[in-house]
Amino acid sequence: MATVFMKWLETTPGDYDRGIQLLTLGRLTPLKELIATNYVQPGHRVLEIGCGTGTLALMMAEQGAAVVGMDASPLMLAEAQRKADKAGLAQAIEFYEMDVSELADRFSPASFDLIVSTLAFSEFPPELQRYALAEARRLLRPGGRLLIADEIIPDRVGARLLFYAVRLPLVVITWLLTRTTTQALSHFPTALVEADFTPHVIASYLGGSLQLIEARPAVESEAIPLKAETGIKTCCLPCAAESAMATIVGETPLPALPPAPSPEAIPQLHHQVTPRTLLLDLISLLNRFVPPYPKIATGLYRVGNPNRTSPVLVTGNYDLTVRRVVRELDGRVDCWLVVANSRGINVWCAAGGGHFTADNIISAIKTSGVDHLVDHHALILPQLCANGVDGWRIRKLTQWGVHWGPVRARDLPAYLAAGRVKTDAMRWVTFPLRDRLEMTITSSMFFGVLLAIPLAILWPHLLGLTLGAMFVQALVFGLLLPWIPGHDGLVKGVFLTAATVLAVILWGQLAGDWPLIKYINRSLGLGFLAYFVAGEFQGTSPLMRGEANWDVQFGVGLLTLLVYGASQLFLGM
Amino acid sequence: MNWRDTLKEEIRHLTIARRLRIRFDQNKCAGVWQCYEACPIGCWTPDLEARKAIFRDEGRCIACGACVLQCPQGAIELTT
Repeated sequence: MATVFMKWLETTPGDYDRGIQLLTLGRLTPLKELIATNYVQPGHRVLEIGCGTGTLALMMAEQGAAVVGMDASPLMLAEAQRKADKAGLAQAIEFYEMDVSELADRFSPASFDLIVSTLAFSEFPPELQRYALAEARRLLRPGGRLLIADEIIPDRVGARLLFYAVRLPLVVITWLLTRTTTQALSHFPTALVEADFTPHVIASYLGGSLQLIEARPAVESEAIPLKAETGIKTCCLPCAAESAMATIVGETPLPALPPAPSPEAIPQLHHQVTPRTLLLDLISLLNRFVPPYPKIATGLYRVGNPNRTSPVLVTGNYDLTVRRVVRELDGRVDCWLVVANSRGINVWCAAGGGHFTADNIISAIKTSGVDHLVDHHALILPQLCANGVDGWRIRKLTQWGVHWGPVRARDLPAYLAAGRVKTDAMRWVTFPLRDRLEMTITSSMFFGVLLAIPLAILWPHLLGLTLGAMFVQALVFGLLLPWIPGHDGLVKGVFLTAATVLAVILWGQLAGDWPLIKYINRSLGLGFLAYFVAGEFQGTSPLMRGEANWDVQFGVGLLTLLVYGASQLFLGM
Repeated sequence: MNWRDTLKEEIRHLTIARRLRIRFDQNKCAGVWQCYEACPIGCWTPDLEARKAIFRDEGRCIACGACVLQCPQGAIELTT
């Protein structure tokens, strides 16, 4: 899996910073400096939502503020803590590993002078955005400010076109280099107004797509309105606790969302084949790598007619994943389906890449109200997210029991019928012919397009040959994968390369009139292509280690170029 | 970081995936079977006598880290 390793390589924070710098063309740093110098005063209590690797938190602490940085990623926080220790600012900053949905549980009302958030809101699904804004409104002291710097899709049509024109190439480059991306916010000012803020755009970069918004609570003079009777004083208490955290103990936090939704109000999912789903299937087949990934709204769904004892299943919000799960369940099982935010990525890759975590699931459970709809607390998670979703964190923070379901959605009905009992066949990943062919098409499309662009510009006469050869190589490799010797793409690739060179020689013999240099050029070019195809196939094969072959591929590429240069020099003249 | 360190770091990242190994401390194991539940490859085998799962089949391990994350005892490590 492409991103399975990122967590263990600890590349996520570094890649993330690099990706963000690229995506915003370096404009983010000045925005952060602007926030730190213009808004932060000594003694301020500041909350940063989604502090990431702590760049802004450090700047604000340098201005003399007491900063609370929260983020759901332990890796990012470890990096942030390391930077804070190094800068000698560890006393001024507290970092908390928590999800936004836990804001109400952790902080008292009116406990911050300033709440800032850069490029975090765009990572939240819409209902979490609304929740976070409502919470921010509650946590701010009178006279406080909410500052949000984020990628925002402009509302005006002309500006929106410009936005996509600037953003699309950046998204592709960033994804290729760092395998990360972000989703820009749409209709954000409206959401701010709905959350009782008065927004002003303070700075705007890149055609308005990167903005710094200052939001003041709309009714400054009044006490902070509470939405429910909770017994918490609403006046601006000088925060009794010395710590900016002021964790509420024994007080009931505000209900995050309406507590008891009626079952009929929960949307029902059906398995259906329509022109739209066929089109989505085709898009998923041809492009599985490049975002934006088709996804569905996170939250709770019904499959069939579930009741208070029906099982609760969890999955990610990749459109294809949800439709495949529903296809297997609809008409066979009545259950509740919690769709958690996996950023539109399948559960295995999302979990491996740190995009689908226990906190995403906790957040989905808390905001969906599923607690009130069933009498049990048994959560069934897809087994393949176990590489990134900490089951014990869910057990600890939600009181829900975690059960690892089968690897494939197809086995869900049998697994549930057996009373959550899994056979080994349900537990183990296979890579059958059908899946291998799917991966052949998916990866050849992606690398085909990548190759086609420079070839069409520089060497159009090689376009058909190269793309055709690459598809045949990927096809042969996909068909014969289990029988090609070796445990990884690099070893297996040697055999694919050898087969390619043999095919070139045979082709030359059949053509009859090839000069030696042509044999060498074709063997080198197509041979390297074979090695590349095999190395990349490793990333899509679930039975091999995640792709980390770029160093060897790059080395082999350099060697190929050297041999090519030498052969041109000695034979080509 | 100068360019030399950056380059070293990149190479470390690229090569680390091929070197990762599971280290299993059977004495710390409490027998909760989460590793067996989570492993998508079948690297863990039941040891019915000890009532524990035992790490086997190192060659097949894809170092996904699922067993490491789900082990409540910290008995499993992914190391280089």
